[in-house]
Amino acid sequence: MVPANYYLVLSAAVFSIGVFGIMTRRNALMFLMSVELLLNAANLNFVTFSLQYGNTTGQVFSLFVVALAAAEVAVGIGIVLVLYRNFGDIDVDKAMTMRW
Amino acid sequence: MATAPFDIAPAIALLPFASFVIALLAGKYLPKKGAYAGILATGGSLLLSAWTFLAVGGGNTYNQTIYDWTAGVGSNVISLHFGILIDPLAALMLVIVSLVSFLVHVFSLGYMNDEGVEGLARYYSELGLFTGSMLTFVFSDNLLMSFMFFELIGLCSYLLIGFYRTESAASAAKKAFLITRFGDYFFLVGTVGVLATFGTATFAGPNSFPVVAQNVLNGTASVTTFGFAPQTWFTILGLLVLGGVIGKSAQFPLHTWLPDAMEGPTTVSALIHAATMVAAGVYLVARMYGFYALSPTALAVIALIGGFTALFAATMGAVKDDIKRVLAYSTISQYGYMMLALGAGGYVAGVFHLMNHAFFKALLFLGAGSVIVAMAHEQNMWKMGGLKRELPLTYWTFVAGALALAASVPFSGFWSKDEVLYTALTNGLNGHPLLLLGYAMGLLAVPLTGFYTFRMVFLTFHGEPRSEQAKSPHGVGWTIKAPLAVLGILATVTGLFNMSSVAELTNAHIDYLARWLDGSLASTSTAHYGDLLGNFAGYAAAAFSPLASSAISLVLALLGVGVAWWLYNVPEPVEHTEKLGSVKTLLVNNYYQDEYQVWLAEGVTADVARGADKFDQGVIDGIVNGASSVSLFGGNRVQRIQDGVVTNYAALLTLSFIVLLLVVGLAGGWF
Repeated sequence: MVPANYYLVLSAAVFSIGVFGIMTRRNALMFLMSVELLLNAANLNFVTFSLQYGNTTGQVFSLFVVALAAAEVAVGIGIVLVLYRNFGDIDVDKAMTMRW
Repeated sequence: MATAPFDIAPAIALLPFASFVIALLAGKYLPKKGAYAGILATGGSLLLSAWTFLAVGGGNTYNQTIYDWTAGVGSNVISLHFGILIDPLAALMLVIVSLVSFLVHVFSLGYMNDEGVEGLARYYSELGLFTGSMLTFVFSDNLLMSFMFFELIGLCSYLLIGFYRTESAASAAKKAFLITRFGDYFFLVGTVGVLATFGTATFAGPNSFPVVAQNVLNGTASVTTFGFAPQTWFTILGLLVLGGVIGKSAQFPLHTWLPDAMEGPTTVSALIHAATMVAAGVYLVARMYGFYALSPTALAVIALIGGFTALFAATMGAVKDDIKRVLAYSTISQYGYMMLALGAGGYVAGVFHLMNHAFFKALLFLGAGSVIVAMAHEQNMWKMGGLKRELPLTYWTFVAGALALAASVPFSGFWSKDEVLYTALTNGLNGHPLLLLGYAMGLLAVPLTGFYTFRMVFLTFHGEPRSEQAKSPHGVGWTIKAPLAVLGILATVTGLFNMSSVAELTNAHIDYLARWLDGSLASTSTAHYGDLLGNFAGYAAAAFSPLASSAISLVLALLGVGVAWWLYNVPEPVEHTEKLGSVKTLLVNNYYQDEYQVWLAEGVTADVARGADKFDQGVIDGIVNGASSVSLFGGNRVQRIQDGVVTNYAALLTLSFIVLLLVVGLAGGWF
């Protein structure tokens, strides 16, 4: 069996890629994908520890997270559409009218 | 134990309250604008009071809690409740109040309705509320309930003094309200003090506060006295409550509202002076006499204030031109006598004078009202004269009242004033010089009383008419005459209920009032008060012939009457008091009492208030505003973070998370 460490390193890598994506990408779709990466990194952690301790709770939780992510994407895509309609672009940094 | 009529005792007060509601809601549509509702209600109260009076005469008393509003637990609960205490004193007062109120209602038919006054529904509703409050005050069984209805009485007098919509009436009403409120402030503090000390404020019964206080002084009980000796503390409490009494009963220095209160309708003046507002103060002292009797200092203060007020007000009454103002100063003076009596240990004398005064002062005011109707609302006595030919009934009843007021034998006022002075003298001779001082002032006021009373009578009714209206006055109807006749008889005969000087001389048991007040409720009986006065205040009557005392005061009273006769009972009287020169100016201006109170308000209180306002605006508000401006400024800076760039939010989130991780890590020793 592959030791848990490897999975954790993979999870951390995926999380870092997600964070990097959020901080550097201005395209709203890339932004959404990066958020998905973050969620899946967390899922990976859940499953890893579930495997490590033989407790299925983590797996159940990761299923919840998947469902949640689906809902989030649905809302996210909706926002992207509205963004495009209002600013003619899906660059998230252009939508700056709602600040102080 | 509640049997008729005691189980329906609340109805005595509830009937006038009902008439208040009826006149308020439906008065406009009723015949006579609600007067009949008031007459029926006060008539009902009178019958019930009389029934109660008879029951008390049969040896019963009633002391019952009606409604508890603190549902406390444990042993040291402060009891706040509404209750009814009907002992001989309360029963007597209930009859007086409901009788005078009933007669005033009847008189109002002639004085208000027939004169076509506006706003009668308001008048009758306020009259009902006034009577109801006073009746409840009279039978309340604890100090807090007394205080609440005391305030309601004050409110009603404010409304009624300001009944006419004129500027002077409004200002007089405001003055009465503010001055009595100033006194009531001390009363409230005293009430709280009594509750905090004794845990109860009931007047009568083995657990009432006067009895507990007595036990404390005897050393058989103990209460918290906040670091004072018990005797000192009880004196302080008594004097605080006395503040309310001085305001309500118009004693020096809070008497200035009463003459101005003449702005109200004359019927209201009759009610205020005889039975309700002003009587409430003295009644309160009589009600908790068991407490005052424990403190010689408080008693001396009461006697001195009373004696001084009696003299002080009498001097001012001697120079007034307005018939109602003369009566107003006589009221202040007579209440001074009652206070003197109570302070000098004459519980019976004080209550006796209260009763007699209620009748003869109501009579005099209603008589003055009758004169004012006849004179088409002229109140200046110099425009009257010769009215006795046209108003014979008013004249004869007025003279009966005046003789009673001037303390001439055998009218009621003689017997009670004589007893007041006799008590002050005999108790004073036994080593209480302050009482003697009070007696001297009271005695000096006797000829003055005779003088101003008969100056008023002669100016109004004798001599030649001095104006067109006085030559052909209006007639007055039976609604005016009937109450005058009833009160005229009462003012003449009520003195016979307690001819204590005669009783002492002949050993006949004709001091009915004294024996009535001895009653059957141990903690409020005269005998109990006598013990307290002897044990705690050190009062003991010196031997002095009651005949000599009576003779002195009678001679002095007749001297005053004689001087008035000599000066004013002439066809064309002139104002002899002009000869007093600057003294007269001082008296007409009421010793500049109003001016000095205005100066106190404007020169001292206003400055203090201004300073307090500055402190509030500057320091208190400054702290509050400072705190808010700090958060406003901070918020203004911090909101710059929210710049709308999502990437920056994400960066901040990440950064903050890392910082948090580092902090937790460092604190938790991970590295």
